[in-house]
Amino acid sequence: MAKAHDMGGRFDTRRIDITSSDVKFKADWEKEVFALTLALGFSSLWNLDRSRYARESLEPKDYLQFGYYEKWLAGLINLLGENGIIKDRTESEDKFKKSSFRVLEAKNVKKLLHMGGPTKRDSTTEKNFNLGETVSVRANNSNTKIEKGHTRLPDYVKGRTGKVIAYHGSHVFPDANAHFLGESPEALYSIEFKSQDLWAKCEHVEDTVVVDLWESYLEKFK
Amino acid sequence: MKKDNLKQFYKEFPSNPDARVKALKSILEKEGLIDQKALDEILDTYQNKVGPLNGAKIVAKAWANKKFKEDLINNTDQVLKDMDLNGRQGEHVVVVENTETVHNLIVCTLCSCYPWPLLGLPPSWYKSDAYRSRAVREPREVLNDFNVKLPISKKVKVWDSTSEIRYLVLPQQPPTSKGLSENELVSWVTRDSMIGTGFPKPPLGE
Repeated sequence: MAKAHDMGGRFDTRRIDITSSDVKFKADWEKEVFALTLALGFSSLWNLDRSRYARESLEPKDYLQFGYYEKWLAGLINLLGENGIIKDRTESEDKFKKSSFRVLEAKNVKKLLHMGGPTKRDSTTEKNFNLGETVSVRANNSNTKIEKGHTRLPDYVKGRTGKVIAYHGSHVFPDANAHFLGESPEALYSIEFKSQDLWAKCEHVEDTVVVDLWESYLEKFK
Repeated sequence: MKKDNLKQFYKEFPSNPDARVKALKSILEKEGLIDQKALDEILDTYQNKVGPLNGAKIVAKAWANKKFKEDLINNTDQVLKDMDLNGRQGEHVVVVENTETVHNLIVCTLCSCYPWPLLGLPPSWYKSDAYRSRAVREPREVLNDFNVKLPISKKVKVWDSTSEIRYLVLPQQPPTSKGLSENELVSWVTRDSMIGTGFPKPPLGE
């Protein structure tokens, strides 16, 4: 079964609420969560894939009930917890070393936000698929190294067949990076799927869905 | 197979989010791990400086200048860098062009990835469960919710932002805006038209 955060294609009859779509923050605490999450993300204790994994790993019922920034907040607390900044009642040892923590200073904010965190790597890893080629997606979308680990392979395309429409070079592999197993860059492709190959009821035979997928998510089409 | 034992520390905190942030912040302050001025600057950036106007300027320029449009589509990251429009959550950008036969729509089904430097922070509907689940399965029904109706002759191409590539829709220029200057065109470009949930439209008052 797909995890709570993996929502693509899930049955949902709710209309899209387009009112108040210009409101960025619904309360002051949301602003605090947003700024804290970005600032602490520069601490060098974790990476973006880890913070996504932290949010996805909340108790499923909380993931579905929490508002957007409530998920960010709970994920952030868990990340601070695993780094010993927030202490568990059962932990007596002090595992947090402040010397390894980079406090974000105001004078560096502009520069760091501008730099962002590019994920494209110069290393050109093995590339087994060509533009225009028909490919199959792995039938199992579980992380192959870590039990219930992070992946960016959505449930709705597993085992499906699509066509390579773009190659983006080698990019950091989230399934490894989220668990501190190294960046392990892999070739990244855009794969176009026919909607009629994805859904039992499709709105239009010409419609398609494009998903960005890494080398090891894909297999030769047989 | 190895396990990742990320624990649920958040349950030890007050459940009310306002109280929860306050409790967290007091720990961080005590440890000296945050600089309030840095937090203020981050908020100021995304509340007041970065927004859909950045994307609108690019679209207007692409409408007004064919050579720029080609560059923008073929050499996106370099063009954005030259215009100082790259940055966090816009490190790698792909521009997808709407045509007579294709209408593009952007979503992130796994979280809420969105091209921040070009559009600012996403609207709440973009982050909603309904949009994330429905956009890939029934994009035309979703567009209906935005009062966007597409002719049967147009194919819908949905882009699910599963990697660090961020997508921006280059909408079709409305025929009635032809001949206007690049500056005038900027105000025709709506945020939703760059996500694919809307069309460009004349600025209010025209």
